[in-house]
This record gives sequence, structure tokens and C-alpha cells, in this order.
Amino acid sequence: MTLKKTLSNRFWLILLGVIVAGSALAAWLLLSRVPTGSIAAIYLDGELVERIDLAAVTESYTRTYTGKSGITDVVEVARGKIRVKEADCPDQVCVHQGWIETGVVPVVCLPNALVIQIEDGSAEPEIDGAVG
Amino acid sequence: MKRPLALSLAVLLLLSGCSSTEESTTIFAMDTVMTLTAYGSHAREGLSAAEAEINRLEKTLSVTREDSEVWAIDHSAGAPVTVGTDTAALLNAAAALGDRTGGALDVTLYPVVKAWGFTTGDYRIPDAEELADLLTRVDDHAVHMDGDTVTLPAGMELDFGALAKGYAGEQCASLLKEAGVTSAILNLGGNVQTVGAKPDGSPWRVAVQDPEGESEDYVGWLELTDEAAVTSGGYQRYFEENGVRYWHIIDPDTGAPARSGLLSATIVGKSGTACDGLSTGLFVLGPEKALDCWRQSDDFEAVLIGEDHTVQITAGLADRFTLREDSGYTLRIVEE
Repeated sequence: MTLKKTLSNRFWLILLGVIVAGSALAAWLLLSRVPTGSIAAIYLDGELVERIDLAAVTESYTRTYTGKSGITDVVEVARGKIRVKEADCPDQVCVHQGWIETGVVPVVCLPNALVIQIEDGSAEPEIDGAVG
Repeated sequence: MKRPLALSLAVLLLLSGCSSTEESTTIFAMDTVMTLTAYGSHAREGLSAAEAEINRLEKTLSVTREDSEVWAIDHSAGAPVTVGTDTAALLNAAAALGDRTGGALDVTLYPVVKAWGFTTGDYRIPDAEELADLLTRVDDHAVHMDGDTVTLPAGMELDFGALAKGYAGEQCASLLKEAGVTSAILNLGGNVQTVGAKPDGSPWRVAVQDPEGESEDYVGWLELTDEAAVTSGGYQRYFEENGVRYWHIIDPDTGAPARSGLLSATIVGKSGTACDGLSTGLFVLGPEKALDCWRQSDDFEAVLIGEDHTVQITAGLADRFTLREDSGYTLRIVEE
């Protein structure tokens, strides 16, 4: 084995090592995403007003949102779930809807233009939409 | 030495190539909230066109906006009104779907729906006399169309609440395709319209809500490619009085909430307009007549959820509907 051949082999080995390490790093970055399905995004009048990490909630609490409509929604935040607890909207559809936790459907208070969406929900199997 | 190198490069390429541009927009229109999601390089322009179309249709078809064509018809006191292509298309669709469902879908029910308070949230129970009187003003065969001119007898009112979202989804799907979008899912307040398949080529998975569960509970899911799915159910909008539930889907025969033995009816098909109208019509008809309608048709499939906790799916959905194991419902496949 000549010196030149050895150097060449070592070069290729190092290059291969770098590529394999790079691939592994890329795979790790892409596949080990932070667990999702616990962030509730609250939109009022089409604007994002708050993002709440439901997994980090230790004790449930309520928060009120009043939009341009003048309607007030009382939103209850609990560990892993969220709902509209009370609202002074006429139809009460949002209150009837109850708790959401997986992100299959958002909670919507139409009269107040309030939407609560759980981002990248944890529904199993993965669901792209819902009818109902 | 070359083979591992090629393999590594392939892995890198694969990892970097698996993401597809996703664009999403949320719109408050047609008395609901809509979320439109499109993929690929034309997603943004496609969604802009779709959003403009929804706003245009809302202006044309709204029953409450004083500048809409529907308002003009409803307040014409029997005089002829000139309408655009959308209103004309919907009136034609309404007439055809009304006939196919034996009158179970009737776009002239609006005076009755108003009397129950479903348009305002001021719910009340009209008595038999009031309903009988209101029903004399309900008959979709009395709507007269001649070219682009519509005549509605005085005292009658029509609205496209049972069709407009399905029509909007269908129109938006066409515009997205025109813009070059091959993969999109449009959620129009519980109506779903898909364009093509998912970016990875697999069908869209769309859950069918459990009519007796919480809002997130679903009985199973459908696999859809380039088609629409629409559900009508008594659980969607209702009020309760003395322990009785009154929902917003009215039987044109009685003027009262339709109690047909179904908890919900979901229709799958290429035409969002037909799916929307048929979901209402088949819910009103009840399981047997709904399946008769399906047997006489070749443009839709159905998921009928009964009060007896059966989920009946028509033959064309046999390999495209999955019942959740823990749903508590029994699956039955209906053959031709």
C-alpha cells in the first residue's frame, strides 16, 4: 500500500464520516420535533391574540375576551384542554361545544369572531379535517 | 467507496425534499368560520382568488345583507328580479335537488326557520296554527325562473343556507385548480371540500363527528380525493325547552324540526352543492327514503348515523370509511 493510496482512503473515509454525521443530524433535527398538540392559539377578530401552552397549565383559570362585537367570551384554560365556559352571545354554540384537546375541530364563537385552535393537534390517527 | 457516498447523498436529498409549502387563511363569512389550506408554489395566489370568491358570493347570496340578490328577491313583493349566474345556478340546483328528495329540501322554508328563531337566536316554539299559516308560504315550485329573471310570489322568502357553503367550496376548488394548485383542503364551517390528494399523494382523512359526543369525538373517518363531504345533523344548532330538543333542520311537511330517526347524514360526492343540499334532504327523509334516493342516484355516497347507533355507509364508501374501534356505533354497509 503506497502512502498516496492511504491518504486517499483516509480522505474518503473522513468525507463519508462527515456526510453520515450530517445526515444523522438533519434526520434528528427533522424527526425529533418538540411534542405538539398542547398549544392553544386564540384568535379574536381574525388576529392572533394569545398562544397558551396547555401542557404547562398547573391550575385551571379563566380569561375573558371581548371583540369588536362587544360580546364577551369567558375562556377556561385547564391542563391539556380549553373551552368557552360562558358567553353572552345569543346562540351559545361555543359554550355547547365544550372542551377541546386534540385539535380535530376549533372552538368558534361566531358572533364574537373568536376562534380557539389547538395547533398541530395530537389526534390519532392524523386527521386533516372534520365534517359535522 | 462510492456506494455509501451516493446513499448518504440520497438520504440528504430525501430529508430536504419532503416539505411542501403550506399556506392557510381563515375567513369569517356565510355565518360561519372557514379555514382554507393549500399546498405548493401556487398556494398563495390560489387562496387569494378563493377568498375573493367567498366574499363575492357572500355579497350575492346573503339573506341578511340588504345589497344581495337574495335580499332583492325576498323583498320584491312578487315583481321580477334580474339575477347573476350564481343565483341562477343555485336556483336550478335547488329545484333539481328538491325534486330528487321529494321536497325534503326546500329553499323557500325561510319564513318557518325565522319563526323558530334559528336566524337570530331568539328561540321560540311556534304553535300549530302559526306553522300551518307559514307553510302556505313554502313551496319551491312557486319560484319562477325565466333566463336571468326570477319571480317569487309576494309573502314568500328563499335562502340558500342549505346550499351556499357547498357551492362556495366547489367554486373555490375550481379557482384553486385554475391557479395551478393540485392539493388543498377547504373547511367551510363543517363542510369539507378537497382539491386533489394530500401533497404526499395519499387521500385526505376527514373525520365524521359523533352526533352524541363532545365536539372533538368522531365516529370514524373518510378518505377523500378531489371531492366534497358535508354533514347535516340535529346536534349542530338547537335549543331545549322542557327537556325537548328543537334543532334547526326543519321538515317542509310539518314546519317542525325533522325527526326521522337519523342523528346525522353525511354526503360525499364531486359536487359540493349537491352534497350540501342532499345532506339536509336526506337527514329530513330518514334512513329508508335516504337510501332509496341513493339507489336512484349515481353522484354521491352517504354515511347515515341513526338513533339506534348504527352507522350505515353506502357501498361506494366500503373501503374509504373507517369506524373508530371505540366509537360505540355499529357499522353496516348498504349494497345497491
